Amino acid sequence: MDESTILETRDLNLWYGQNHALIDISIRIPKNRVTALIGPSGCGKSTLLRCFNRMNDLIDSSRITGEILFNGNGIHDSLADVYAIREKIGMVFQKPNPFQKSIYENVAYGPRIHGVREKKALDRIVEESLKSAALWDEVKDRLHEPALALSGGQQQRLCIARSLAVEPEVILMDEPCSALDPIATAKIEDLIIRLARNYTVVIVTHNMQQAARASDYTGFMYMGKLVEFDMTTKIFEDPGEELTENYITGRFG
Amino acid sequence: MAGKSLSNMAAVAVAGTLVALLMIAGCLGSEGDSVTSPSQQITVTGSTTVLPIAERAKEAFEANDASAAIMVSGGGSSVGIKAVGEGTADIGMASRDLKPEEAASYPGIVRHEIARDAILLVVNPENSVDRLTPGQVRGIYNGTYTNWNQVGGPDQPIVVVGRDSASGTREFFSEFIMDKEDFIRTQEEFNSNGGIQQKVSRTPGAIGYVGLGYTEGVKALALDVDGTAVEPTLQNITDGTYPINRPLFMLTDGEPGGLARQYLEFIMSAEGQEIVASLDYIPVQG
Amino acid sequence: MKKEQAAPVPFPGFGRLQRPEVGADRASAGANRHLTDLIAGKLLFFAALVAIAAVIFIIVFLLRDGYQIVLETGAWNFLAGQNWNPAGQNPAYGVLPLIVGTLLVTALAMAIAVPLSIGSAVFVAEIAAARTKAAIKPAIELLAGIPSVVYGFFGLILLTDWIRIAFDQPSGSSWLAGSILLAVMAIPTITSVAEDAISSVPREFREGSLALGATHWQTIKNVVVPRALPGISAAIILGMGRAIGETMAVLMVTGNAAVIPDPITDVFSPVRTLTGTLGIEMGEVAFGSTHYHALFGVAVVLLFITLAINSASRIVISRIQGPQGTARPTAHRALVAAASRIAHAVSAPFGGVVSPRTSQRCAFFLISLSVVIVLAALGMILFGIVVNGAGAISWEFLTGSPRDLGRAGGIFPAIVGTFYLVGGGLAIALPLGIATAVYLIEYTAETPLTRSIRAAVDLLNGTPSIVFGLFGFAFLVIFLNFGISLIAGQITLGLMILPTIIRTTEESLRSIPGSLREGSYALGATKWQTISRVVLPPALPGILTGAILSIGRAAGETAPIMFTAAIFSSRYLPSSLTEPVMALPYHLFVLTTSIPGASTQSYGTAFVLLLLVLAIYLAAILVRRRYNREKVM
Repeated sequence: MDESTILETRDLNLWYGQNHALIDISIRIPKNRVTALIGPSGCGKSTLLRCFNRMNDLIDSSRITGEILFNGNGIHDSLADVYAIREKIGMVFQKPNPFQKSIYENVAYGPRIHGVREKKALDRIVEESLKSAALWDEVKDRLHEPALALSGGQQQRLCIARSLAVEPEVILMDEPCSALDPIATAKIEDLIIRLARNYTVVIVTHNMQQAARASDYTGFMYMGKLVEFDMTTKIFEDPGEELTENYITGRFG
Repeated sequence: MAGKSLSNMAAVAVAGTLVALLMIAGCLGSEGDSVTSPSQQITVTGSTTVLPIAERAKEAFEANDASAAIMVSGGGSSVGIKAVGEGTADIGMASRDLKPEEAASYPGIVRHEIARDAILLVVNPENSVDRLTPGQVRGIYNGTYTNWNQVGGPDQPIVVVGRDSASGTREFFSEFIMDKEDFIRTQEEFNSNGGIQQKVSRTPGAIGYVGLGYTEGVKALALDVDGTAVEPTLQNITDGTYPINRPLFMLTDGEPGGLARQYLEFIMSAEGQEIVASLDYIPVQG
Repeated sequence: MKKEQAAPVPFPGFGRLQRPEVGADRASAGANRHLTDLIAGKLLFFAALVAIAAVIFIIVFLLRDGYQIVLETGAWNFLAGQNWNPAGQNPAYGVLPLIVGTLLVTALAMAIAVPLSIGSAVFVAEIAAARTKAAIKPAIELLAGIPSVVYGFFGLILLTDWIRIAFDQPSGSSWLAGSILLAVMAIPTITSVAEDAISSVPREFREGSLALGATHWQTIKNVVVPRALPGISAAIILGMGRAIGETMAVLMVTGNAAVIPDPITDVFSPVRTLTGTLGIEMGEVAFGSTHYHALFGVAVVLLFITLAINSASRIVISRIQGPQGTARPTAHRALVAAASRIAHAVSAPFGGVVSPRTSQRCAFFLISLSVVIVLAALGMILFGIVVNGAGAISWEFLTGSPRDLGRAGGIFPAIVGTFYLVGGGLAIALPLGIATAVYLIEYTAETPLTRSIRAAVDLLNGTPSIVFGLFGFAFLVIFLNFGISLIAGQITLGLMILPTIIRTTEESLRSIPGSLREGSYALGATKWQTISRVVLPPALPGILTGAILSIGRAAGETAPIMFTAAIFSSRYLPSSLTEPVMALPYHLFVLTTSIPGASTQSYGTAFVLLLLVLAIYLAAILVRRRYNREKVM
């Protein structure tokens, strides 16, 4: 693994109340690559994902030890600005969650809150983001219609465009295709692969084909532990752990 | 899970029992318990001005005759007239005479004048004014005078306080003082003597009119009749020197009988009229 | 957890459905079932008919007598007349000053209450730590149950004096006093409903915004509040309805002069409201007179205002919610735009120049300030009553009868009388209300007829309680000649809470998924078996909550009973339904407004009334909390 690292955890432990959800996780996420996190339900992969942009802060009972570094700086440092971190590390959720606003306003929301006021600049950002999310051609004539009128797959691409609009370095995706049909899923997977040219993508997925198809690196988690982390080809063709092999071959999960 | 749903059931059961108990209580209202139930009972209803007399007389009467039960309720003169006319109450109370339409509807009503009530003009104790002519009072109540310095008092806006437009007291005051003129429209209205008394006692610039019994915390004004100040003393009111007074009635449908008659006789007796006097009304007997 | 949720829901008590009938005589058992089904259906229909007839009768009765005044003075003179002077030499019956008074008092009250309430709601839903929230939320809900006469008592004792001195006015009884009092009364209602709306915004919307690096405040302002706007609007409308319908508290502090403030912005002018007019003049008016008809006219005007608010709220809410996924109509855009403009205005001084963090700090400061103001105002009232009231409580006070015009002795007959009144009202309204709701939901399709029935129920649900008092007085006390009596009060209170019970029962029945009913029918159950064993049990907690809240409301109301049932003093408990009773709220009202030198007893009575009503509300909260927990499991 000679790639440069953008996100890193060191001995990360996390508790929800009494529940020890993440145990001694140390992982290095390579820059401008797609990293997939797989594992059975409740293994902690979504929790780990939510650590990277401190979304777990929102859950009162959560407690954390260990270190998370973003470009070498601890994201829990007292000087760290949680809002700036989230600006740089975007997130796409399991269920598409566009705001109750127009398509345009959904994408413009992020730049606006970060201080972009000029109409021209906003127009440009909206267009570029929608293009990057492969949605522009479908919506360019109805930018001011409500976002909720879009189909599920379009909504999810809108959410991706929305996070691209604030120019993040990393995009976290939490099972982004689980609510979508196969055609919409294929479009999103294509998009993920293309995004990796400019962004770092971390994706949590249940779908092993998806991990195999779309990711460069794969981490397998089980019961709150990171069992194995390696090149995707290595994980799927020659896993180092028996547990990983059992999961991938469908013997449990 | 089982424990949870059990405690849930318990909560529902407790709430259900509460509801059921209340419903039973509501139904039992009709049953009552015969042990404390008195042998004879009458209802007295109507004017809130007469209410204190009826109430005190009732307390004294029941102290003498434990078997009697007298239910006293307010509601207003109209309620009293209507109730006794329709026979829903045994005795009605009224602080005004019957209106023509009422007299026509209920020709059988017999009036018993049980007391007289003086109407006092009251101001806040801090107010330096202590006498007004009837003309000045009218000027205040019709809006001619708006500051106390126009009637010989301090420089302070007058807060005019009166009874509500359905009140017998107001009607009487209007006839006696106002001489067919309307009240100033910014007059603050209260629906009881006590309300006016409280308001005046708390408001330095206020003037109001109340029955004789409501003078605590306020200053009663003397009436300036042809240059002489007539204080609203019991003496002056009884002999008619203080002019603003009116009769208070108890009404029955036909001549009363039974407990109602005993109760009315008690009020008209020396003991009853003492009660009247002790409540700061003007006795009509002895 | 998830698996449990997904598992098919078993029917409670369904095991016994057919077991006894197996074998022996299936055919006759089937006939029995059908007979029961038929009878139950007919009974429900009959009950619904009675309730609906009552609802329509009230409306027709008020309209009929109210119409008289239009005949006598002409509609224009009545509605646009500037002078309300029924007792003058030239009696005038113009309600315009009363309508203006009502609207002014309500508008200012809303201007005070809405920002404070929404601030508090945002605080509780978004900012407060879990533990603070757990304490504040039920406290605010409890405060929504404080009887209005208690607020009025407090306003009369302290608020008017404070206004007179603080603003150097000749008199403190004013528009402002009424509005402040109404605002304090409406805040708990608005806060509680708005908080529900904000809390129920799905978490993913918050996360979506936060994940873009938005601050908490930016998220609240731009995402959460716009999303919760339908619920917040409903909360405001509910609070407004409560403010317009309030009689006793307003009557005690506004000065009741039937004038339009001059200039119109003079908040220190005394004003008189429509409800206050009914409360003051009803008891003394001569029957069948023009004045009497004018009061009915006032009630009809109130009815129309309620109708207008109901229709407006229905339009606003349906517009906002709109069908999912279609273009939002302009009304919603305008509302959202207005909301965000207000939000911007709040943060404007900091917004453009200052960093999002600073503007968040300022916004949170203002929000916290609103909570502090609300809690301080309500805390002051409660503290005053508890401290002064607890001192008045003694064994004699709780178990004795009043003496010396209530200045001495106790309030036992009033406590018992309140129970009788509420119990009787409930005995009338609960069976009728539940049966009507079951009939409407389970037996009828959605037709224009049921829609108009529902509209009539809604109309009465929002109608001021004093209008029920007027109806009870004119119809039960006078026309049917019940006199001032327990039964008249029970029926009046029953009619007052009937619409509430119908509505809450309908809501909880509607929340039972249709698949449950289908599951039952698929097993061959009759309609009545399905309703009684499958639909009603899970709906029970919701129905009970509605019933208990109605009890609380009935126990605290003065306006409906003051002319129908209540007497000031009685040594005995009533021994028949035709006798009048004492009641706590009326006792407090009379002690406060008519009996000088009874302040100890007033505080004591207020304290007991407060405890009683709060205990009832607490019960409702506990039932609901159990129920919610169950649902989450």
